[in-house]
Order: sequence, then structure tokens, then C-alpha cells
Amino acid sequence: MKVTAIGLLNLRRVFRDRANIFFVIITPFVMIFVMGLFFGGNQQLRLGVTGASGPLAERLATAFDSGDVRVERVGDADALRADVERGRLHSGVIIPATYDSDVQSGKQSEVRLITRPNDWGAVDLGSWVRTAVQQEAALLKAARFAAQERGDSFDDALRTVATATVPGIDVQVSAGGRAAVPSGLSQFAVSAPPLLLLYTFLTAMTTAIGLVQARTSGVLRRMYASPTPARSLVAGEAAGRLIISLVQGLLIMLGSALLFGVDWGDPLGAAAILLLFSLIGGGAALLLGSMRSEGGALSLGVVLGLGLGALGGTMVPLETFSGTLRTIAMFTPHAWGYEGFAELVRHGAGILDILPQLGVLAAFAAVLFTLGVWRLRRVLVAGN
Amino acid sequence: MPILEITDLTKRYGDTLAVDGVSFSIDEGETYGLLGPNGAGKTTTISMIVGVLDRDGGEVRLDGRLHSVTNAETKALIGYVPQDLALYQDLTARENLRFFGRLYGLAGAEGTRKVGEVLEAVGLSDRANEQVAKFSGGMMRRLNIAIGLLNKPRLLILDEPTAGVDPQSRNAILNTVQQLAGEGVAVLYTTHYMEEAERLCDRVGIVDLGRMKAEGTRRELVSLVGENDRVLLKGDGDMKQAAAVLSGMPDIKQVTVDGADAELIVTDARGTLPGVFETLTRAGVHVRSVEVREPDLEAVFLHLTGKALRD
Ligand SMILES: Nc1ncnc2c1ncn2[C@@H]1O[C@H](COP(=O)(O)OP(=O)(O)OP(=O)(O)O)[C@@H](O)[C@H]1O
Ligand SMILES: [Mg+2]
Repeated sequence: MKVTAIGLLNLRRVFRDRANIFFVIITPFVMIFVMGLFFGGNQQLRLGVTGASGPLAERLATAFDSGDVRVERVGDADALRADVERGRLHSGVIIPATYDSDVQSGKQSEVRLITRPNDWGAVDLGSWVRTAVQQEAALLKAARFAAQERGDSFDDALRTVATATVPGIDVQVSAGGRAAVPSGLSQFAVSAPPLLLLYTFLTAMTTAIGLVQARTSGVLRRMYASPTPARSLVAGEAAGRLIISLVQGLLIMLGSALLFGVDWGDPLGAAAILLLFSLIGGGAALLLGSMRSEGGALSLGVVLGLGLGALGGTMVPLETFSGTLRTIAMFTPHAWGYEGFAELVRHGAGILDILPQLGVLAAFAAVLFTLGVWRLRRVLVAGN
Repeated sequence: MPILEITDLTKRYGDTLAVDGVSFSIDEGETYGLLGPNGAGKTTTISMIVGVLDRDGGEVRLDGRLHSVTNAETKALIGYVPQDLALYQDLTARENLRFFGRLYGLAGAEGTRKVGEVLEAVGLSDRANEQVAKFSGGMMRRLNIAIGLLNKPRLLILDEPTAGVDPQSRNAILNTVQQLAGEGVAVLYTTHYMEEAERLCDRVGIVDLGRMKAEGTRRELVSLVGENDRVLLKGDGDMKQAAAVLSGMPDIKQVTVDGADAELIVTDARGTLPGVFETLTRAGVHVRSVEVREPDLEAVFLHLTGKALRD
């Protein structure tokens, strides 16, 4: 009962402040809306192509064309780069001048992809170009094989494998990659989950201030002077923060579903991510709350909230990260939450499919919560 | 039987021995004052008694039972009014009281009744629904005390409850404490105002640098400095010459002169004063003012530690 009293008090204190209501409830929706427009998931993607103009190169260029992707021919590589930089094109492909001859003679040929960083369209296009190139490469390999086996010319062989099935070789290549954002997905379904992670964590960090205040004002000590065991005090303070995170997370989920039609996928999976991620925020807040100075806790909280958020792909999509950055990102709980939500929301995964992500999140939660509880208890009993 | 009994209480912060083997006890219904200057170790001692700070050595017994930071049973006997204003500034007075009441197991109708009662006791009933942040310093102090009364404690511990309040609030606070003591609540009261200790306390312990210097009733403590009174005189005339004459008188132990001021240490002020006036008049000194000071705790403190209680 005392745990509940402490938890509810924390909740009441946060929601009494108008600024907090704005910060906790309104801001996330504004951001989901703005970021949704920014990512603009449904528009047609423009892919520039330049370079070789032989029949094989032409084949490849045509292969890029699809309902969602419009291919535009561009004069030269410099013009292509400029167009991509200016954002007129989402991405560009440079096909080397020797493409046709290289392919026919069985040499390695390198197609270059120019993309924009921090652009969802570019992420999708990159993945689409890779798929199309793989498909084409498989076809070309089959044609070379057929030409060698049957002594046909490369062109004839290509024509044959492109239309028929050659015995022993399955040329019905299925797409190897998958779009980071499947077409038809609402842009808000892309923007909402990362922002949920960013905001719930940031909110948890800011609630740490209340804990520092309780400590420096002597309220925490006074609570401990009552016949309330340290574990109940800590549990109450933790519960308060956990509930605030959960409430915010649920509001974002329900609100974005109602307002923007976001489908969060498997409810069990989504609830599991939210719960574990809230525990992580709560544990981190307890740790932060055992700091001595309010200002220090606030600055560190904001730095951690925004820093981990950015690093974990909640501001700039994780898919646009380079290899090293992506590896670093996996040290943040945000990145694991991001991947978990991406599986659920974008690819229709169920809770069982995201067990690895849930496992890592659970480990984060366990470590942070244990540390947070230990630290706060120490602060209570030892007075420092 | 003592409600509180502490033996050899010790606390060390790094190199500072904040509390150094302090022992005392408080009887049921008794008001005990801890008097000492800043940094004497009063708050540290109290924190260990309340059970919010681990002690390095010694023992605390409440109602005969061994007390510690983890003993909820003995904690329930204590009402604690910390030196800091330990309040939620963003909540109302009533919300603060309701919350702390719950921590003492007070809920529902009983909680409501008890909260109303303590609000009445500290005179905050009409401001109960206002946010604490908007309170004056004195009102915050009174709310701080009200929280300590919620659990109807058998031992009420107040750590400098009048720090920084106006005379009116201070008087109200002292009255509240006196009234509770009258109702049989044992009180442990720390202060560095000796007037407060003299007015409230049955017994006083004088602490300095973490140690108990002396302990007893006001009379017992005062006898430590002897039974002498101090007479402070202001006069026009040749005070130097008058002093020489005065020091020859039988009841006057010591005379010090500083300009127009003279300080006499006498065994019995009442008996000596007429003779003093006569002598001064004869020496041509016109007395403008006289003040007689019976020995007080301030003098005791000076005597024991060689320094003033407050600077
Ligand atoms: N948390 C702490 N860490 C280190 N030293 C401390 C701590 N708390 C108190 N001290 C030191 O212990 C000594 C006693 O402090 P304490 O607060 O008990 O004195 P006090 O008698 O209550 O003084 P005041 O009248 O100013 O309230 C002081 O020297 C103080 O600096
Ligand atoms: Mg103190």
C-alpha cells in the first residue's frame, strides 16, 4: 500500500505541472506528425541513372524501374551527384562505361550507388537497387553458364534464360533484400515507434529531477524515518517512474493509432517492448536521481536522453547508419527497441520473432534497475 | 522508565568525528534539550536516533527495545521534525500531510481526521489547500512540525524547529511544543537559542565538537559556573576611580571597566546593589542604567567551552 502511495504521488506530481502535460503528451504527437511528413513514406522514389549506354546497361536500368521507383537518365556522374545532393533525386546509380563488355567477358563489374544520408527514400532505394542488381546478376551468371554449356552467343543465352527455365538452374530469383519500409506503409508508422522510444526515455530521465529534489530537500530521509522499509521506498519511487513511462508510451500508441492510423502490429510484442523499455528508463532514472545536484542530473539526463536517442536511431533512421555507427548503436537500448518495433510494425512479426530484441532489452532493464535500486538504497541508509 | 536511551553513540565522516560517544536518556513525558553551536553534531545525533543514518558505534533503545534503521516497530514511536523543510513544495499542505500519513499507516477517514487535527494544532487549517511553495517561512516551519505530529508519537524529535522564523511563528511553535509536553509526549529538542532551551526543557545536554560537555537541569548546569550574578552598569563620571572603591567591597568578586561600562561579578546582586549605588554616588558617578544577569545557559556554555553559543 505504501508502495502504491509513493508511486501515485510521483504520478500526481508530474501531471500536476502543465508544462509536463505538454511535454509528456502533446509534444510526441506533434513530433510524430512532423517526422511523418518529413519521411514521406508514400511518394514515388526518384532514382537517377547514368553511365554506359549498351544494351546490357540499358537492361539493368530498366530493371530498376517499378511502380514505386521512377528511373531518370542523367547526363553524367557529376550531374547525378549534384542532383542527389540537392535532393532532386533520392539516389543515383552510376553504371561503368565498360559494363557491357565486362559482363560479356565474365569480368567483375562495379555499379556505384550514390545516396543521401538521413533520407528514408534513399534507404528504401538502396535496398531496392541491391535487390535488382542481385536479380540481374543471377540472370547474367545463368546466361554465361548457358552460353558456355551450349556454345551459344551470350546475347542468345541471355534471351533464353530471361524467358525460360534452364534445366539445373533456377532463374526465378526471389528478392534477396527487403525494403526497409515496405511500400504502402503509412509514414506515421515509420515515425511513431522511434519517437515513442525517444520520448519515454527522455521523460524518465526528467523525472529523475524529482528524486534529486526529494533527496536534497530531506523528504526522502523523512520518508525513511517513517516505519517504511527501504525496499518499499525504492519500489515506490521506481514504480512511479515506470508508470509515467508506461502511461506516456500507451498514450503514444493509442493516440497514433487513432489519429494517424498507425498499426503497431502484435499487441503482445508491442506491450513487451514498451514494458521492458520503461523499466530501462525507470532504472536509469533511479541511478540519475541518486545524484547530488539537480542541475547536474538535469543536464546529464537531457544529454543521455537525446544522445542515446540519436545514437539508437530514434532521430535519424537506424537504417541510414554506416557499419561502425550501426555497431555502436547496438550498445543503446533504443536501437534494440527500434529493431523490435520495426519487425512488428513494418514486417508483421509476432512476439516470438522479436525474442532476441526482447532478450537484450530485458538484460538492459535488469542491469539498470538493479544498479538503480542498489544506489538509491545506499543513498538512503548511508546518507551519501 | 526512559522512552529513549542512547549509549556511546558514535559517527565518523571521513576525518571528522561528528558524534563522539554521546550518551543520554529521556524519560516518559520529559522535555530534553540538546544545546550546541553550529556543527556540534546535533543533527547527526538525531539522525541516528530517528533511524535515518547508520551509526558507527553505540546503541539506541526506544521504550526498552533496540532501535535501528531497519526497525519499523520502534520507528513508529517517533515523530520527526527535521532541520530541513522536508516538504513537497509543489503539493498543498493537506496533500503533504495525507501522503506522510499514509507512510504511517493512516488512511481513509482516520487519515482525514488526523490531518485535520494536526492542521488545527499548528494553526494552518485555513491554508490547508494552498500550495506549500506559496507559504511564508514560518508557515512552512509549522507544516514541517505538523507532519511530525501525525503518528501521535511517544517521542517527538524536533531539530531546530524555529530556525529562521519570525517571533510570532516562533512563539506559536514553542507553545505547540509546550502543549504537547503537557499532554505527556516526551520531547527531544535541539537548538542553539538558549532562551528556547531554558523555556522548554526539563533537562539540557550541552554538546560541542561531537561530545556531551555537561548535562542536567538548568539549576544543576548553572551551579557549574557558581552562584555568582553579573551586574552590568552604565554611568557618567570617573568610572576608574569608582571601580577601585567598589573592588574593596566584601560581596564584589570582580570589577571590570570599559569606558562608561562596568561589569561586576557579585555573590548576591539583590543584597549588594544598594551599597553599590551609595558608593558610586559618593564617588561622583551618576548611574544611568543597571542590568542584573543571573547565571544562564549562555554563561554555562561559555564556561564549559570557552566560546559563545552563537557568533
Ligand atoms: N553528510 C556529511 N558528510 C560529511 N560531514 C558531515 C555530514 N553531515 C555532517 N557532517 C559534519 O559533521 C559535523 C556535525 O554536523 P551536524 O550537522 O550534526 O551539526 P549540528 O550540530 O546539527 O549543526 P547545526 O546547528 O549547524 O545544524 C560537522 O562538522 C559537519 O560538517
Ligand atoms: Mg543541525
